[in-house]
Amino acid sequence: MPDVQALVNEFLNKLKKRKIEGSQATAKQTAELLRSVISQQRVPRTNQAGALIDAVRAIGEQLIVANPIELAVGNIVRRVLHIIREEDLSLTTAAVAELNLSTVSDDDDDGGGGDQDDRPVLSAAAVAAAARNTLRPPSLQMLLEGAPDFVAVPRSSSSGGDSEGKSKSMDRNSRTRKLKHDIIEAVNELIQDITTCHELIAEQAVEHIHQNEVILTLGSSKTVLEFLCAAKEKKRSFRVFVAEGAPRYQGHLLAKELVARGLQTTLITDSAVFAMISRVNMVIVGSHAVMANGGVIAPVGMNMVALAAQKHAVPFVVLAGSHKLCPLYPHNPEVLLNELRSPSELLDFGEFSDCLDFGSGDGSPLLHVVNPTFDYVPPKAVSLFITDTGGHNPSYMYRLIADYYSADDLVVQRRHAAGN
Amino acid sequence: MKEQTTRAMWWRSPSFILDNRQQQPNDTARRDALSIPLSSPLPPSTTMADPNPNPNPNPNPLTDKISAYYQTRAAHHGVVSSDWLAQAQAAVGHLPEGDDDASNNDQGAPSGKPFSVIDEFNNWRKQPDLAEAVAAIRALAAVIRNSQATTMMELEIELKKASDSLKSWDTTSISLTAGCDLFMRYVTRTSALEYEDFNSAKTRLIERAEKFGEISYKARKIIAMLSQDFIFDGCTILVHGFSRVVLEVLKTAAQSKKLFRVFCTEGRPDRTGLRLSNELAKLDVPVKLLIDSAVAYSMDEVDMVFVGADGVVESGGIINMMGTYQIALVAHSMNKPVYVAAESYKFARLYPLDQKDMGPALRPIEFGVPIPSKVEVETSARDYTPPQYLTLLFTDLGVLTPSVVSDELIQLYL
Repeated sequence: MPDVQALVNEFLNKLKKRKIEGSQATAKQTAELLRSVISQQRVPRTNQAGALIDAVRAIGEQLIVANPIELAVGNIVRRVLHIIREEDLSLTTAAVAELNLSTVSDDDDDGGGGDQDDRPVLSAAAVAAAARNTLRPPSLQMLLEGAPDFVAVPRSSSSGGDSEGKSKSMDRNSRTRKLKHDIIEAVNELIQDITTCHELIAEQAVEHIHQNEVILTLGSSKTVLEFLCAAKEKKRSFRVFVAEGAPRYQGHLLAKELVARGLQTTLITDSAVFAMISRVNMVIVGSHAVMANGGVIAPVGMNMVALAAQKHAVPFVVLAGSHKLCPLYPHNPEVLLNELRSPSELLDFGEFSDCLDFGSGDGSPLLHVVNPTFDYVPPKAVSLFITDTGGHNPSYMYRLIADYYSADDLVVQRRHAAGN
Repeated sequence: MKEQTTRAMWWRSPSFILDNRQQQPNDTARRDALSIPLSSPLPPSTTMADPNPNPNPNPNPLTDKISAYYQTRAAHHGVVSSDWLAQAQAAVGHLPEGDDDASNNDQGAPSGKPFSVIDEFNNWRKQPDLAEAVAAIRALAAVIRNSQATTMMELEIELKKASDSLKSWDTTSISLTAGCDLFMRYVTRTSALEYEDFNSAKTRLIERAEKFGEISYKARKIIAMLSQDFIFDGCTILVHGFSRVVLEVLKTAAQSKKLFRVFCTEGRPDRTGLRLSNELAKLDVPVKLLIDSAVAYSMDEVDMVFVGADGVVESGGIINMMGTYQIALVAHSMNKPVYVAAESYKFARLYPLDQKDMGPALRPIEFGVPIPSKVEVETSARDYTPPQYLTLLFTDLGVLTPSVVSDELIQLYL
């Protein structure tokens, strides 16, 4: 696997040096890297899924540690782990279904059950249902059912029957290949979803933007740009206020793009948001990440816009592709999920060299510059989330997360104890 | 009966004052869930039948149905009050097994069998570390073990009877009801599925029920682990009521050398705050006791509020010791997060629309000084906190927002 290791190292480097900008690009590259890892991973005869999961976890751990602020990395790692589990499950249930049919017929021939297995005969439906429960997050019904026992059963019963030994090993070989194949297909679909998330979100634009509306946005987000342009193409006429998004001033770029597409745009400073908010019909913004409680990690300044919108009862709509959904709950996100960037974005070193000088006085400068990258917007400030699956309430986000992720993967750390 | 309905109609208007004076003295009739929440009112002088100066100044506690649930909790908290102790002994009985009739309360419980699920339940309930729901499930497991049924249907019917009797024995305990319902649900689902052999199904049920008891301990550990991230160094936590789960959370945090301090509300009349502060002092956690009225005063110093729950209802709100709603309101108005630590078997299929929507759970309050007999006392032991005042629920199913609760319940029951 040396070439995969080289790829991983290169990617780790890029993450550490913050060379990749934007969660979409990061997510795509992470998925592609994991796809290479999976295809090159050699898997043993039994428990192929476990081996793959361990390999992905090992690499995922390193990736997440390289850039913990970029939540998309962790999201994609967990998505891939979930995919592996799902594909394994569907293959196993298909195999068990065949197997159970044959075992049942054996039992009839022998004229009495209970000699080969102490376990009672389970119907394939029951096994499938029980095993599916392992993938879903823990729920009340699982409390009493104790799902892990069931997943063990198909494996032991499959190794039990010796009469069909030969055909079984053939099955297992093809199953290995099929598993990997299925997983890689699913990962390809995931990459496809990441790339096309803008289109799916933009399709919903026309339901939300109506004639003669005034939309406010902050900074620049490709999703927002596509969203607005889609509405424009459906012949809605509306105006956009763009807050410039200091200190990077990416709002300037967005304004330029919008004008190029023919939209009436007004550029304002961030400080003017409160003044202009009463003239605005809707606030539409992009996000960096969406947490499990519905809170949003967004470029700095967004919390202020959210508060302004709340105060003046303006709907605050957040656009987020599914790779931005993070299954973690934020505790102290302003500090732990934030990064401080270089003060040079705010101040010119040349002019301020005496204030920022470490050599003067007692070795520490009197002027400190704090330049945080992100802001945390609490869920109650958000009116609607628009993802590629549709529009949702903040309190509904946990549901999407349950669909995309498995509960076992929340902590991506290599487990030295047995089991997944 | 007519008096009752008149009361029901008028209790919200001032005319109830007049009405009360005309009331019949003792309301011994069984109240339904939605009827009067106030303790039975009394006319001035006639019913004080005992000329003996009652050491307990609280008039007429004996006719009120004292919630057995709160009796147990009070027992665990070490609060001794003269009259309810006598009540408790009468209701619960001294003998663990044996005469079932003697050990049942005035309600007249069912099961003339030598084995009584109520006894079994009481046994388990006495252990201070065991949650009510788990005790109930263990009792139901004992029912299965002792059952003579030969088919699943028979077993189910027996279990249903036992579960109903448990529930009716103490209608006020939500976790008991929830635990029984969860177990019944499990039984009805399992029987439909896999096993053709009755005995193996029965064994399986018993073994699952036993395992459920272990879940109680594990649940607390899981909840403690989940909430660790939310307790940061230098934080101040406000705690109300004596919840074993919350205690576990704080214990784990203290053991991982986190620096934090705790404000305990006094928790009248159970004095839960005193007991909790004892426990915390043993862990070397700085504790400050507040009287219940000082919560708003100290709320600006507080970083988060931690409470347990007697039950989690379908809307995502919680039912907890009296005073929780108040604290949640204050915390909400000052933007402080309110975290609830509750095991998942406390999820109940209730949807209270206001404070009085639940069955009344009453417990006596001692003021230490005699109160004039005309004066009523609000003796309800619990209140309902709506979901919009709660930030997060820590359960063994994970960290949940209040809106997830109804989803979970739907998945299980529908």
